[in-house]
Amino acid sequence: MTDARAALALAKKTLALVSGADQASVQVNGADAAYSRFARNYVVANLASVSTTVSVTFVKNKQQGLSTTGDLSETGLRAVVARASDVAAHVPANPEFVSLAVPGAIGASARSVFAATAEATPADRIAKLKAVFARMERSSLGSAGFTTTQAHSVAIANSLGVEAAWEGTYAGIEIKAIAERTSGYADFWTRDYAVLDAAERAHIAAAKATVSDDPAGLAPGTYTVILEPPAFVDCINNLYYGFAVDKIKESQDSWLIDRLDKPLFSPNLTVIDDWSYPGVANQPFASDGAPTQRVVLVEKGVPKGIVSSTYLANKFGVENTGHDGYPTNAIVMPGTKSREQLIAETERGILISRTWYTRTVDPRPCTITGLTRDGVYLIENGRLTKTLRNFRFFTSMLSALADVEFADKLYRSESADAPQTLLVPAAKIAKFTMSDQTSFA
Amino acid sequence: MSNGYARYAARVLDTASKRGAGYADVQFWIAESESIYVQTGVVRDVDNSRTVGYGVRALVDGSWGFSGSDRFEDADLDAAAARAVSIARASALIPKRVRAVTPVEKYVDTWSTAVSIDPKSVPLGTKIDYLLQAEKALHVSASIVYGYAFSWNETRTKEFYSTTGSAIVQHLVQTGAGTGCNAVADGDAEFRSGPGDYGLYQGGGWEVAERADLVNNATRFGEDAVSLLKAPVLPAMTGDLILTGAVLNLQMHESIGHPLELDRSLGWEANFSGVSWAKPDQVGKLRYGSEKLNVVCDNTLPLGMATVGYDDEGTKPSPVPLIENGMLRAFLSSRDTAAETSLPLTASVRAQDWASVPIVRMTNISLAPGEGTLEDIVADTKEGILMDGIRSWSIDDHRLNFQFGTQLAWEIQNGKRTRLYRKPTYTGVTPHFWGGLDRVAGAQDWVVWGTPNCGKGEPNQFGRTSHACSHARFAGVKMGVKADD
Repeated sequence: MTDARAALALAKKTLALVSGADQASVQVNGADAAYSRFARNYVVANLASVSTTVSVTFVKNKQQGLSTTGDLSETGLRAVVARASDVAAHVPANPEFVSLAVPGAIGASARSVFAATAEATPADRIAKLKAVFARMERSSLGSAGFTTTQAHSVAIANSLGVEAAWEGTYAGIEIKAIAERTSGYADFWTRDYAVLDAAERAHIAAAKATVSDDPAGLAPGTYTVILEPPAFVDCINNLYYGFAVDKIKESQDSWLIDRLDKPLFSPNLTVIDDWSYPGVANQPFASDGAPTQRVVLVEKGVPKGIVSSTYLANKFGVENTGHDGYPTNAIVMPGTKSREQLIAETERGILISRTWYTRTVDPRPCTITGLTRDGVYLIENGRLTKTLRNFRFFTSMLSALADVEFADKLYRSESADAPQTLLVPAAKIAKFTMSDQTSFA
Repeated sequence: MSNGYARYAARVLDTASKRGAGYADVQFWIAESESIYVQTGVVRDVDNSRTVGYGVRALVDGSWGFSGSDRFEDADLDAAAARAVSIARASALIPKRVRAVTPVEKYVDTWSTAVSIDPKSVPLGTKIDYLLQAEKALHVSASIVYGYAFSWNETRTKEFYSTTGSAIVQHLVQTGAGTGCNAVADGDAEFRSGPGDYGLYQGGGWEVAERADLVNNATRFGEDAVSLLKAPVLPAMTGDLILTGAVLNLQMHESIGHPLELDRSLGWEANFSGVSWAKPDQVGKLRYGSEKLNVVCDNTLPLGMATVGYDDEGTKPSPVPLIENGMLRAFLSSRDTAAETSLPLTASVRAQDWASVPIVRMTNISLAPGEGTLEDIVADTKEGILMDGIRSWSIDDHRLNFQFGTQLAWEIQNGKRTRLYRKPTYTGVTPHFWGGLDRVAGAQDWVVWGTPNCGKGEPNQFGRTSHACSHARFAGVKMGVKADD
């Protein structure tokens, strides 16, 4: 079920089956997702699945139960309501609970559904991959990656009058070009599969893989780096979790504690969370139907905002920003220089295409570690002069973002780990610490 | 135990065959789970979930297609089968392809996880009381500002049918429980959790949650977290490192289990979770670690999270040595990857759920025990560091260069724990690190640790793995690496 109106009708129908609750809410999620995965210039997995789930939250005397089902029959819907009610009857009251989401003004969503994505066929996806394989074979390269087309719907109805529904399509491609000793990477995410130019992306990945076939060593240390968008988004996402109110007031391990409204980062850094921003066009409400607010997270280097869900906003008396735990639509505002200009202005530095297995090591100083992959290059006197072997980096994002400037174009990233759409430009960071170098590129 | 899906299966397989599939299989899943999460004295979430659906695999002209659905009308069954065939046919538009193997085996069987206490037989209130007691026990000091305890269990009934006549019904039960806390002082926070990396996860019923011994462990974790606030940061050094099983199992997971997934070594995972430094043609030749390193893939292991009667392409498992006396002996494989390399089949194919395509997964990967207890190893160490509890982990896409952060470290001097350190890290390169393995504790300390959420694949799927191990000591390890040094 990928039609938002049908999803909302199902949510309301299920809500009508609830009786005896002080408050209740029903969420419906529908998806039709297809992936064509490739490696070695052929398809290694090709798949699609359809699913719809219905989740019921039942609250009575501050006792709360949640139950989910995929059985949409009348019997199935009655059963999921009964299970939620039964759970609520057997749990202690939660004194922190105040209320489920109350109705609020939900913004009008930008266009988020495109037929080229929703109606893409297996042959359409394979046609994109043929273009990729042709480019790779022209340069005697291998490849790995995938292309996907997806349609989703979400709807919420609750007993307080919340009614919210949204549908959207996603499409993307990730391409790793593989040479004997080097590799390159390019991706593209969009709501409209028609604008995805697989050949162009394949060319970018192939060009990165063929800068040099002899990756060089470089001593670990602190360098000026230019993080291409796939690398930068992976690093800065570790910072985003610290904006969550529970990290500040419950687990108390956020880097943001005692730093709100104080200069911390470069004045070049401004981050907003905005579902309506062009290029994001995301769901305008949280999973409980609370309207998602536009939040200025960082303004000219000063942390300004936090994000909260209904539950935590009620618990801590802060504004409900309609976020499910962390920023889901964060945008790093672009700078004025092109990526090429940032490279040209770098006397000596490292260009990093992509990072991998980046983890927060210590949340209070927001120290992260991870590795580079798929294209690392030495910059000397404004030019890429060598392909380098990969590095492990180990740095505080607070110190890394103290001296940073940004390229002028935004890039869209979809996270594999969380339902996030993030926009970032390429970032030039003055000091970024490489703690080790690997034996391969 | 069957839920009567044979009729649906017959229709799906018939439709797939009529549309051109040379082979097809379909697996029906009923998954029922319950998760309970308590935080700082409050029951925050009790989630009871039930999903039902099926996944169809069709092999057409040597190419695979997969389709998942949760709709059961005749037209839906036909549509799912037709979609799998259509996808396979599209795959076949690319002339180069996977060397797909048509299964020939036929199994008609049933299999169940051994369960002592059916999770459904335990009243919800009893489970909640257990978790609230554990969470309360964390609060040994006012500096413990945040604590949690959780339990999770899932029962999966899976019915697998194929065009070769297989009809396999399996009933899998898995349970997990854990607890953890943050202690805060002077602008810093220290985290402690367990048992294991984040909890004890095993195949079995509520007895697993009881085995996790959360209340006693919670008191220890709370005390550790408070002590860590006053401890110095581990200084940089290179030397002997003792890892408890709580850390060692994740070290095995990242630097042995993943590199030995055959699809990864063949390059099929190259874009996402990476490739492997170990190659199929190195079987029997590659020294992976020291003589003390003996690792087996045993998907029949009692308590294993990946233990099954049959994997998700209908293969019956048996134990396979992966590393013997430090030498590489085998990889984790599917039918197709085994055929591609002429290596043994290990029944290591799993799907996250009915909507996910079955892929090669790390399954139960265990380190054979040695001799003695943890305390014997400590007593046998003149100068070194003992680390426990997981805080962070990261490894490159060839599975060579890794860095782990742990929750605590003890300095060992002349066979005794002498000083507690906080924020410890260690780093290494896989063959060098395992080459330094010089002592493994005995069977009395051997625990089947489990992971419920190992990520792999595009789309990303969560897999369930187990790593049985005791404790071990490694020589020449670089420790105390710090950011921005």
